[in-house]
Amino acid sequence: MSEKLPGYGTITVPLDRSVPFGAVTPAPVLQQELFFTSNWRIVRPVIDDEKCTRCMTCYIACPDSCWAYNEEEDQMVWNAEFCKGCQICIHQCPTEALTPQAELDFEDGVVRLDRPF
Amino acid sequence: MADKRYLTGCSAAAQAAKLAEVEVVCSYPIRPYTAIMMELAKMVANGELDAEFVHGEGEHAQLSVVLGASAAGARAYTGSAGVGVTYAMELYSPIAGGRYPLQMAIADRTLDPPGDFGSEHTDALSFRDQGWIMGWACSPQEVFDNTLMGFRIGEDPRVMLPQAICQDGYFISHIPDTVLVADPAQVKEFLPPYKAPHPLSMECPVSHGPQIRPDQGAPMDAQRAATFLGLPQVIKEATADFNRIFGRNYDPFLEKYKLEDAEIAFFIQGAHANTCRQTVDKLRQSGVKAGMARLRWVRPWPTHEIAEALGHVKAIASVETSTSYGGAMRGGNLIHELRASLYDLDQRPVVTSFMAGLGGETIWPEDFEYMAKVITQMAKDKKADQYVRWIGFEEE
Amino acid sequence: MSFDYKFQTFEPIKSFKGAPKPEMYVPGHRTCAGCGPALNYRLVAKAAGKNTVFIGPTGCMYVANSSYLCTPYAVSWIHAQITNGGAVASGVEAAFKVMARKGKYDGPFPNVIVMAGDGGSTDIGLQAMSALMYRGHKVLFICYDNESYANTGIQVSPTTPYGAQTTFTPPGKMIPEAKKLFPKDPPQLVIGGHPAVKYVSTTSIAYPLDLMNKVRKSLSQPGPTFMHMHTPCPKGWGFDEKLTMEMGKLAVQTGMWTLYEWEDGEYKYSHLPKEYKPVSDYMKPQGRFAHLKEEHIAKMQAFIDQKIAHVKATAKPVEAAPPAAS
Repeated sequence: MSEKLPGYGTITVPLDRSVPFGAVTPAPVLQQELFFTSNWRIVRPVIDDEKCTRCMTCYIACPDSCWAYNEEEDQMVWNAEFCKGCQICIHQCPTEALTPQAELDFEDGVVRLDRPF
Repeated sequence: MADKRYLTGCSAAAQAAKLAEVEVVCSYPIRPYTAIMMELAKMVANGELDAEFVHGEGEHAQLSVVLGASAAGARAYTGSAGVGVTYAMELYSPIAGGRYPLQMAIADRTLDPPGDFGSEHTDALSFRDQGWIMGWACSPQEVFDNTLMGFRIGEDPRVMLPQAICQDGYFISHIPDTVLVADPAQVKEFLPPYKAPHPLSMECPVSHGPQIRPDQGAPMDAQRAATFLGLPQVIKEATADFNRIFGRNYDPFLEKYKLEDAEIAFFIQGAHANTCRQTVDKLRQSGVKAGMARLRWVRPWPTHEIAEALGHVKAIASVETSTSYGGAMRGGNLIHELRASLYDLDQRPVVTSFMAGLGGETIWPEDFEYMAKVITQMAKDKKADQYVRWIGFEEE
Repeated sequence: MSFDYKFQTFEPIKSFKGAPKPEMYVPGHRTCAGCGPALNYRLVAKAAGKNTVFIGPTGCMYVANSSYLCTPYAVSWIHAQITNGGAVASGVEAAFKVMARKGKYDGPFPNVIVMAGDGGSTDIGLQAMSALMYRGHKVLFICYDNESYANTGIQVSPTTPYGAQTTFTPPGKMIPEAKKLFPKDPPQLVIGGHPAVKYVSTTSIAYPLDLMNKVRKSLSQPGPTFMHMHTPCPKGWGFDEKLTMEMGKLAVQTGMWTLYEWEDGEYKYSHLPKEYKPVSDYMKPQGRFAHLKEEHIAKMQAFIDQKIAHVKATAKPVEAAPPAAS
């Protein structure tokens, strides 16, 4: 008799629309590359290496973890892919080693992404 | 060797939960399910059960605690009744959609207003659409059995869904009956340990439940629905295994009592099925070809099984111990999906419903006999004159 | 004989350079530029380290962080309802306890940390927070306080200051001060009423070392702890996003925020100003107070003066100056 009754059909989610089981996603490791935020900024922080005392204030003050200290090269390293240009680091730098410069001034500036996220 | 004991539904649930070695239990008192937690508390206190017994601050908290526990990888258990069930409403979808296969024991209680400790099924039925496995027992033995089956079905990797194991308050929760309490070896054979697919771990860190866009919501829903398509097969396998190991004889979806040659039939779930069965016997003695289909799982609703079991019957009485105010039949909840299950048959039985046992009242054998009389007439007329009759409240 | 759950121990962090290098809250989240709560989360996660599970009740630190289907948490994290952060965390903690006892888990006991906003801690989440404190679970409950329901577009919450404009407390001729009520004091909701709680602290993102060390001290407790963390919100409070840390500092310097620890019944204050700046120094740069008249600012000053007096009366001598660059 079940053959004469309607079935439930099939439910197939196309591959490009699939969501992970139970909405559980893997944790990111070093950065979340599904959400670049570089195209948010209109200025970027520029570092004057001579004035920088490696006090690590910029590193501690960034909500987006965009400053890191390269111990081997004794350099502060800036993350161009995620900096939102909030200028907290610039404002907090005790030696004024950081200054804001318009993103448009840079060849690799005004990063445009294909999709916003 | 199974141990034959004389237990209430609440005790049966506690004994089964203990044998299932539940690991995190979250309690909160509300009549008439509280005894389940009182017994589990004793077991934990005297070392019979190694579990974290968390005193929840309310039913909403209970479901939240077991959600967290299940996400971390523990087998989690909780329960409630009546307005406690509805207070936790926020959590049912997050738990089901998060695929946390915890179990909630519900000893039904009529919803307020005002306080009424008697049993109606509306409390649990109110969240039946949120993606849980849900079903009713009609005896303490079945409460015990459904508790174990629930974990087995819900934790199956093809399923991963929470289960609501329901029993009528008072009639089942508080009246003792014979229960074969299984041997731990039997349980071990039937129920493997819970293995969460992606628990909150430090070796393999995961994010449970990031925000999504609307266009990601649709596939979430579709994936959850797809699970229900495969669920009946898992239920069949689990029931067959259960019957074999524990020596029972459950049909996976419907208890089919004297249905093969029935001309009239009752469609019912829960405790009052016991009175119904007796009435069917009595009717048979007086030559009436009566039968009963007792629903064991309301989710997933056994659409085809119902059509197959009841399609040949001439008239069906759906016995409703729940309310759906303003619903299509102006009565209870089961009638809508019962009619939907039968709609596509070439020959449709006549279907009507009877509101009975509301508020936790007894349904008397005479009530069932009255229902039989009404549907016998409908069978003759080949027509239902009314969608619903409120037993005891009809005009004289 | 008590079971060894392998609780973690922590060293104090003595300098920015000495802070743990791994980021547990990584770049790539949709929080506003200059977001105070985001910086706070990063510092908490850094101090806690990799053996951590975060519980994230709905709020900015849920929605903004996890849009869409991706999060910045390098450690395990689970979404909770805004109502139940404390309860979900209780379940996670209980699960790890029983799994450890049964030999199903033998690693270090995780830092279980609830990152709840002011609403999720003191308003709709209050019941669950209090129950967690009462039951004695080994969980750190953090109230990151941006003084509003920010995620839904800045609505009033029980920690919104007197006089602050929000979309539910707009100023108008009937209510010139916009918000008439004074806020709840979250640590005081916990202190004294929950016997299992032995350590409560307040922090500010303007004092990151103090913040990270208080996190580690909380995580070293065997039972529940509560942290009230001041996290300025440029969007909600109406100030330029580069001033987020400065706003935190002004709060402490004016007495609008007091840094302290409560441990086993004793209060220990830190970074107490020798001379308090007037509250208007803090309020004037913030758009949410722009509508206030002198009389309202005076009312706020009176309220803060009372707090300062209480601190002065109970504070022990100030501890040794903290390490440089804090």
